Amino acid sequence: MSGHQELDEDKRGTLDRALLWRLVRFARPHARQFVWSFLVLALVFALELAGPGLLRGAIDGPVGAAIAAREFEGAAFEPQPYVRELWWWAGAYLLVALLGFAFRYLEVAQLTRAGQLVVHDLRRRLYEHIQRLDVAWFDRRPTGGLVTRVTSDVESLAEMFTTGLVTLSFDLVKIGALLVVLFWLDWRLAGIAVALTPVLIGISMVFRGGAREAHRLVRRRLSESNGYLQEALQGIRVVQMFGREKLVSQRFAGHLSRYLSANVRTVLLFALFFPAIDWVVTLIQASSVRFGGTRIAQGELSYGLFLQFWFYLAMLLDPIRELGERYNVLQSAFAAAERIFGILDTQPTLKSNLRALDGPAPAPLSGPGHVRFEKVSFAYGSGPEVLTEVDFEIPPGHTIALVGATGSGKSTIVNLLLGFYEPTRGRILIDGVDLRELDARAWRARLGLVLQEDFLFAGTVRENLVLERAAVSADSLDLALEGSCSRELVERLPGGLDAPVAERGATLSTGERELLSMARALAGSPRLIVLDEATASVDSATEARIERATHSLLEHRSALVVAHRLSTVRRAHQILVLHRGQLRERGSHATLLSLGGLYARLHAMQFTDEPLLTSTDPLTSSPAR
Amino acid sequence: MARLWKFFGRFLRHKRPLFLGFLTIPIAALLDVRITVMIGEALDRMRGASDTEFLEGLFWMVLLIALVRGVFRFLQRWWLVCVSRYVEVDLKQDLFDQLTRLSFSFHDKSLSGDIASRLTSDVENIRMFLGPGLMYVAGALVMVPAALFTLIGLSPWLTLSMLLPMLAMGLGIQLLTPRLHRHSTAVQEKQAEISHIAQESFGGIRVVKGYGLEESRARRLERVSAENLGHQLGFARARGLSHAITETSHALTFLPILLVGGLALIDRTLEVGALFQFIDLTFKVFWPVIALGWMAGLYPRALSSARRIDELLGEQPEIRDPEQPTAPPRIQGALRFEQVEFRYPAAAAPALADIDISVAPGAMLGVVGPTGAGKSTLLGLIGRLHDPTAGAVKLDGFDVRRLELATLRRALGYVPQDSFLFSETYRDNVQFGSPEPLTDASVHELVATAGMAQEVARFPAGLDQLIGERGVTLSGGQRQRTCIARALAREPRVLVLDDCLSAVDTETEARLLENLRRAGSGRTLVVAAHRLSTVKHADEIVVIERGRISARGTHAQLLRSSDWYRETWRIQQAREELLAS
Repeated sequence: MSGHQELDEDKRGTLDRALLWRLVRFARPHARQFVWSFLVLALVFALELAGPGLLRGAIDGPVGAAIAAREFEGAAFEPQPYVRELWWWAGAYLLVALLGFAFRYLEVAQLTRAGQLVVHDLRRRLYEHIQRLDVAWFDRRPTGGLVTRVTSDVESLAEMFTTGLVTLSFDLVKIGALLVVLFWLDWRLAGIAVALTPVLIGISMVFRGGAREAHRLVRRRLSESNGYLQEALQGIRVVQMFGREKLVSQRFAGHLSRYLSANVRTVLLFALFFPAIDWVVTLIQASSVRFGGTRIAQGELSYGLFLQFWFYLAMLLDPIRELGERYNVLQSAFAAAERIFGILDTQPTLKSNLRALDGPAPAPLSGPGHVRFEKVSFAYGSGPEVLTEVDFEIPPGHTIALVGATGSGKSTIVNLLLGFYEPTRGRILIDGVDLRELDARAWRARLGLVLQEDFLFAGTVRENLVLERAAVSADSLDLALEGSCSRELVERLPGGLDAPVAERGATLSTGERELLSMARALAGSPRLIVLDEATASVDSATEARIERATHSLLEHRSALVVAHRLSTVRRAHQILVLHRGQLRERGSHATLLSLGGLYARLHAMQFTDEPLLTSTDPLTSSPAR
Repeated sequence: MARLWKFFGRFLRHKRPLFLGFLTIPIAALLDVRITVMIGEALDRMRGASDTEFLEGLFWMVLLIALVRGVFRFLQRWWLVCVSRYVEVDLKQDLFDQLTRLSFSFHDKSLSGDIASRLTSDVENIRMFLGPGLMYVAGALVMVPAALFTLIGLSPWLTLSMLLPMLAMGLGIQLLTPRLHRHSTAVQEKQAEISHIAQESFGGIRVVKGYGLEESRARRLERVSAENLGHQLGFARARGLSHAITETSHALTFLPILLVGGLALIDRTLEVGALFQFIDLTFKVFWPVIALGWMAGLYPRALSSARRIDELLGEQPEIRDPEQPTAPPRIQGALRFEQVEFRYPAAAAPALADIDISVAPGAMLGVVGPTGAGKSTLLGLIGRLHDPTAGAVKLDGFDVRRLELATLRRALGYVPQDSFLFSETYRDNVQFGSPEPLTDASVHELVATAGMAQEVARFPAGLDQLIGERGVTLSGGQRQRTCIARALAREPRVLVLDDCLSAVDTETEARLLENLRRAGSGRTLVVAAHRLSTVKHADEIVVIERGRISARGTHAQLLRSSDWYRETWRIQQAREELLAS
């Protein structure tokens, strides 16, 4: 799994202009930061140029003059004025170096600032956008990939704005400017450098391009060998029970040797790259000595200028060496950008989700909340119908229990009522208004939810119970704890209501989580309860508490319950029996039992005192631990 | 350091390239210094020279030396980095072998994702430090003295004054390190937090939307993202400082060259050529010095990685061959559990207690009971996935702990509950079970016995069909039947089926069980199951509840004697009927 994803992440982005402009638009609100960054870079560059200039000034100025004067004046030579002037040059150099300190600091700080501001913005927008998408969209995607979008993909865009765009374009400016300066200093010497610069750039690009391919191969082979390792560990019982340790070891050795040979290729490339670049650099330097030397001898070129030239050559070579690498960063960032824009371009298809983005104000919710399913059918995508012409009502104050085997369509009804999916045919009316015309969030705010997969968020118990709902007060929280029989549970936790809760509530038991989600639902004083009873077995004390909590949850409220407990179905005003997406029987517990049909059989199988595990999927049932 | 040196021993296994690689370092460095000296001396010769012929010779000489230097630098990288890669692979192989040796109790408490990442990043940390790291250090340790030696000969004072900015840099970076570390840790923490929030929200999108939490979750993310921004900026400031310190001290090295060198030039105690040597060697020495600092930064990480890897390699498998194994003539398949108790480490209550069962060769034992009652644990004791904490499990009257692991496990066919298969070809997965190579015909026969013949015939690539992620995805039932074929490939005396028919429909199940009984004449069968119909025909069925045998007998007897059995049977029959309707 992870291997595939990694490869996918590694896809090479195409450098297309439309994408680039789109990215630039994202950076636009922070244009000022980027202008500052360029300014700082320009200042750093100017100071970099100034240093060797001062060195040359000192050598051609006071030092050169002193040497000439000493030759001319002989013993009468008085070095003092020259020395004094030299001190001034040194002072200027010190000043430039110290200024350089400040601007070099700003260079990193400012550039990162610009990039990170864009990241922060983009991450926020992307996250909000993703959250607005249809539940169906999430159901089709692994969560891990989505998380990558708002974490490393966004980070790699920051890298692109800083290392990629700003530094790369400034490096190009630098290379051009240095060539001009070299030309201006001495065009004859510069000629060699100018002629060989394309060679250097060529080497840099070709090698780095090759290195990129080689690196991709290494990463793929690495993820293959890691994948095999993980697989072997996952199947360690089988490996040991079958005594095949040697066999898997050989297989792993095969993966490793493929990984090694891919690695050796990158080693070779890098071992060739650095010496090759260095040799061309030496060629440039040796040529300048060769031709510069003749002209120094003829007195046409000063030592100072030669040294300055030498410095600038060194300055020219750094950005060239980095060029290929920066280009690679840019490319992988483009791939990330494509993935991010792919998501930003996805629009929710459900009317209610679309409306959350913009559109006319939805119908207000003021009625008693009479729910009516009218010939509702549903199919996931182009798949077969999982619900066929389902008709029922939830009058205010009534409890409706849904009963049926796994896969009979119970959870689809819950999904539809919550507005996560829309019926493919038929409609759901709330006080006579189509659910699609209502504001989904206002509608859900009236509901109290206790879902099977319900989990608690990382935070405190109180945060989880309140969930930032205005309707929850200290009093209603108190009542909710009472009603859900979870006061004792909360008091037992270290810190009570302020006790920390781990991610997904992992530190609490299943029963405790169910009690707390009931308290959470109660705290909002909901008009309609949607309860998907948990099937997991809990100890009998908790079971009794959950039963009492269910009772107070359903009292005087409308409710739709996916029922697994006998006590719940007994209390329901109406029981709907689903079988293969159709409503087959309806009525009270007693009438349905006397009917001796589906319900009677389901009853025998499902509602017993002994909790029976229904899991039949070998992949989800955990081995004994 | 001693710990790291131990790992360096692995580098020493590749003596030739290692030795030659380290030999090239001083040669390349000395040639590099030589080029600077030659150009410097030529610069002095130029002044007022009427004949510049010597420049032509110098030009070619420098190019030639540079070429030789290039060849040595190439060889240096090639040999030394390659050695570090060999060592990486060796080490990974050793770790892998160690992991497959370790008992199940070790794997039970560690997460496989953790181990894989540890393997990769810890090995890489060590490789980086002892491979390229040591190469850079060696380079610096040759280059710096060589350059200093050359320069001190030219002007000791200037050399000493040049060292000051470098020392200042070293000190400055040292002082900054904790700050850099603090910020980078904070950034990592915040990024992990962001990823947790996204994980929670996207994974639990129903809860988020159901409670209308979109805004509050978005605000939460924004807050953490803003905190991340703050730490990023702090980190950037620290990095900016370190960048500024490095670059400025580089620039400041040229200040004494300008001032002290300039004064010496005026006094005629130094020539321009010497000044050039100072400048050029500064360029050449500075980056190796930076590399030294980089190495110092790698050291603590390499050390803790070495400790972790050492720990893993030092781990002893709990379940080992006995020192003096008994060698039974031929295993018949009689199985006995005698007063067996098993307790997971640090568990308050035993997972199994008072287990007494005996199974005659060729008989079938059924193990049933609620989830978590201890069925899988019981089955795991037969093949020594765990050893009992009290009592004994005996095969043909021999305590399984007295048998060689290979002998014991050779006699067993095990079908795990999670129906684990490798992402390899179908043939390889079946072959996995057999110690001897199987012919196509015998693979097909096994597949037929396991009731998979029809499906395999439909595979586009037949037996060579890749399965898993990169090939076809098998259904739960198909996986289970494949696992059975794999177990049958061993021609085991005892076949252990750990609830491995749950995803197979009852009809197929009945046929399969019939096949298994017929195929292994005289083969002992131990079958754990949720579905009671699976074990209906067993010679004996034990009901395990909370780690103890609560009832035992044949199907007919248990229907009378065990409430749990009777009730479960009734419910399951009701479900069958319902599904059939």
